[in-house]
Amino acid sequence: MNLSLLIPEWTALGVLLVLLIGEISWKDFSRKYSGLVSLAGCGVVFLALLLGRNHYGSAFSGTFEVTPLSVFFKMFFILTLAPVIQMARDSFENSMKNPGEYLLILWCTLIGLFFLASAKDLLLLFISLEIVTLSFYITAAFLKKDLMSIEAGLKYLILGSLASAFLIYAISLLYVMTGTTSLDGIRTASSILNPPPLMMLSFVFLIAGVGFKIASVPFQLWVPDVYEGAPSPTVAFLSVGSKAAGFLIGLKVLVAGFPFLSKELTLLFSVLAALTILYGNLGALLQTNVKRLFAYSSITHAGYLMIGIAAGKVSGVQALLFYLAAYGVSNLAAFSVITLVGKALKNDRLETYKGLSQRSPYLAGMMFLALLSLAGVPPLAGFFGKFYILLAAVQAGLSWLALLGLLAVSISLFYYLTLVKKMYIEESVQTSPIQVSSGSRVLLAVLALLIIVVGLWQAPLLSWAGQAAASLF
Amino acid sequence: MIFMILLLPWLPMLAALGILLIPKGNEDLLKKITVAICSVTSVMVLILFFQFDAARTGYQFVYRFDWVPELGITYQVGLDGINLTLCLLHALVSFAGALVSCYNKERLKEYLFFYLILTGAIYGVFTSLDMFFLYLFYETTLIPLYPMIGIWGSKNKEYGAMKLTIFITTGAVVALFGILLFYQQTGLHTFDLIQIQRHLASHPLPLDFQHVVAPLLLAGFGVIASLWPLHSWSPIGYAAAPTSVSMLHAGVLKKMGPYLIFRLAIPFMPEGIRHWSGPLSVLAGIGIIYAGYAAIRQKDLKFIVGFSSVSHMGYILLGIAAMSPAALSGAVLLMFSHGVMAACTFGLIGFMYEQTHARGVSDYGGLSVTTPFWAVCFIMASMASLGLPGFSNFASELLIFIGSWSRFPIIVSFAVFGILVTALYLLRMVQQICYGPVNPKWSKLRDIRTFSERLPFVLLLGALLLFGFWPQGLLKIIEPAIGVLLP
Repeated sequence: MNLSLLIPEWTALGVLLVLLIGEISWKDFSRKYSGLVSLAGCGVVFLALLLGRNHYGSAFSGTFEVTPLSVFFKMFFILTLAPVIQMARDSFENSMKNPGEYLLILWCTLIGLFFLASAKDLLLLFISLEIVTLSFYITAAFLKKDLMSIEAGLKYLILGSLASAFLIYAISLLYVMTGTTSLDGIRTASSILNPPPLMMLSFVFLIAGVGFKIASVPFQLWVPDVYEGAPSPTVAFLSVGSKAAGFLIGLKVLVAGFPFLSKELTLLFSVLAALTILYGNLGALLQTNVKRLFAYSSITHAGYLMIGIAAGKVSGVQALLFYLAAYGVSNLAAFSVITLVGKALKNDRLETYKGLSQRSPYLAGMMFLALLSLAGVPPLAGFFGKFYILLAAVQAGLSWLALLGLLAVSISLFYYLTLVKKMYIEESVQTSPIQVSSGSRVLLAVLALLIIVVGLWQAPLLSWAGQAAASLF
Repeated sequence: MIFMILLLPWLPMLAALGILLIPKGNEDLLKKITVAICSVTSVMVLILFFQFDAARTGYQFVYRFDWVPELGITYQVGLDGINLTLCLLHALVSFAGALVSCYNKERLKEYLFFYLILTGAIYGVFTSLDMFFLYLFYETTLIPLYPMIGIWGSKNKEYGAMKLTIFITTGAVVALFGILLFYQQTGLHTFDLIQIQRHLASHPLPLDFQHVVAPLLLAGFGVIASLWPLHSWSPIGYAAAPTSVSMLHAGVLKKMGPYLIFRLAIPFMPEGIRHWSGPLSVLAGIGIIYAGYAAIRQKDLKFIVGFSSVSHMGYILLGIAAMSPAALSGAVLLMFSHGVMAACTFGLIGFMYEQTHARGVSDYGGLSVTTPFWAVCFIMASMASLGLPGFSNFASELLIFIGSWSRFPIIVSFAVFGILVTALYLLRMVQQICYGPVNPKWSKLRDIRTFSERLPFVLLLGALLLFGFWPQGLLKIIEPAIGVLLP
């Protein structure tokens, strides 16, 4: 057994241990050092991933495997975690006694995500998913004195448990049918037999479980409330990391596990994608709270990502991965601004953003860039993401879906530009400048650079995504 | 020469990033950089214009490198007579607009930042020969427009900015849908226009495909060309926009729609356009007459000119519908002439508005007495607009009428009648503004006096006169290019 495949996981566990020991041993550790240690930890885990990036194989008798796809997702997760940690530092470091607790839970989430990326067995997959989801319950309800936050945590807990129940039921049905929980085993067992009705039932339950994580219609109802109430760093992680985890399960289980159902999957996902895009777009039009606005916007993006699964094949998955990365950087940049503004002005209403360009040109500029990228305006990352995923849809014969996705871009411009209007055109009553910590300045600059570079020089990320996508099939 | 054409889009964009580093207070330096960059790019276009070999057909100054090989995206640039003419138009207007932009007082740095991005993106559209980059630059022009109109505009600016952005984006995505279908249909897995052209010369697209996709491109790019009934963003948007944005938008951006039809639809889907040319010509005809009548009823100067530009774009679309060499050449020449004329008119109105903050026709009177230079320029621009011989607008409209007469005699008669309508509202506007009793409120208006104020208008009107008396100067490069498009 090749334990060196688990080096990134070992490293992440190591960081978690360091944080834990620090938390216990020094009184000031939580407030003064935990954030920096976490950021440094991100760097170390990133290096570990980078050094082992061409080192593929499987361990634990085939339940754990490292493929280009899992490396892609692990890179994605660690690069998502770093901005989230910075946001957590901005929101909690000065206002809380033990901000380190929050970071500890973030690292637990990351470890769950890492195992999820490598799981080759449904049980390991389920357990790591539960680690992720449980940590999110805690971080969503982290502001113990804030009713909204507790409500968000509770709502997420109740609906999330339901989704988990669906998943575990689907897994047990699969076990009954095939006598195995290994994904390979299910794949081979199911491709011999005609799909029996129970298999279809478990397929539907799997879609319900995945749909909850990625926030697709009709499993999206929790999103606006949870996003509104939960602390901003949690929402950022939820909207990027957790959504990516949902798509990861979708790819591994639905796309790779049920190749014989690919026609049904295409039909189902293209219809759901269309509904999700429309629901998110129309819901976002009239929002007055910026986090609710981004909740609906994240539903829309889930719809676009689902087009990638509907389009299927390597090109569809490749487009999905590219879109995910583009959406990730843009959304993280937007949430960094939301965190900073929310922290400074104690308010997440859209009105708060009035005159932001005067109060902090830097934050307004970064938000503008992130919004344009999310709307899919060139030459930014989001544009190429949309372009390629819609091209993949056309190539897969889903022209109607591509047209719908394109027209939805104009709708989404309306609400993204409404926020731009607040920031740039409308005047604010207060004009006191907003302070931005130097850490966040650097973070935002890096994210902005990524948005522009990925948008203009697409080839490297695209070929990496292609390699990862090819390893799925 | 190649480095020049490569630099055209990127020089303004890099300069835009550069001026972000200059402190806000240093307005002089900001202005100097903007004007310098716009003059350098304009001079580069002039050099390319004189180096261009009119005797050769096909693209010149072609340069290509692979961008995303997996999808067949290349960064390819090159010029033929059509986009060279439009580059020349943009060179003139962007330079004039840069000079005008410098009179902006509020938040100058941000304004010039967006102005440079816009200028660069437009050069990108006019130099790229790859469908992906054509579309990329085309939609990039949208980024600066919304804040530019929203922040620095006037009267109903938020509504105007939003309407303009959403209309044009919707058009753009419909056209993108057509482009994606086209990419899939050719089966070449490339966005490289030259390669596609070579392939399609021997394997034309199936007819039913052309019939479906050509209207997508026509309607999608028709939105920005203010094809009736998709034009309604245009007068409102121009009325709200600050001066140099109106100049660039009415002058150059609007021409991107017909240009992309020339680049993508006419050579690759000629049968598709011929199939739809009847409806297109009717819409163009309605646009000419309808917008003309609408202009008669307007009281606001910018609305008059806005509707007038909708009406003039109708002639260009009529030329496209006719699909004959003469009409298409006329359409390209009119894109140039109308662009220069519209930019000049909007610049003049902006100059007056800066002082008076009044735009109603009845607010003015007797300006030929108080501000003679302004009045002369304004009258000349109006005469150009109504197609007086001697200005290049006349030559181009004539070509369009001649070229489309045999196909659409009835619509052409209506279009000729449209010139009368144009004369009606323009002459009335000129009469009320420039002649008659002097409005006592504005008896001390400042005329266009300094060199840098006069330069843009002299250049623009000079170009109109030059190519009015010598249309061959442009036609000799346009006609061979049209010949390649229409085999």
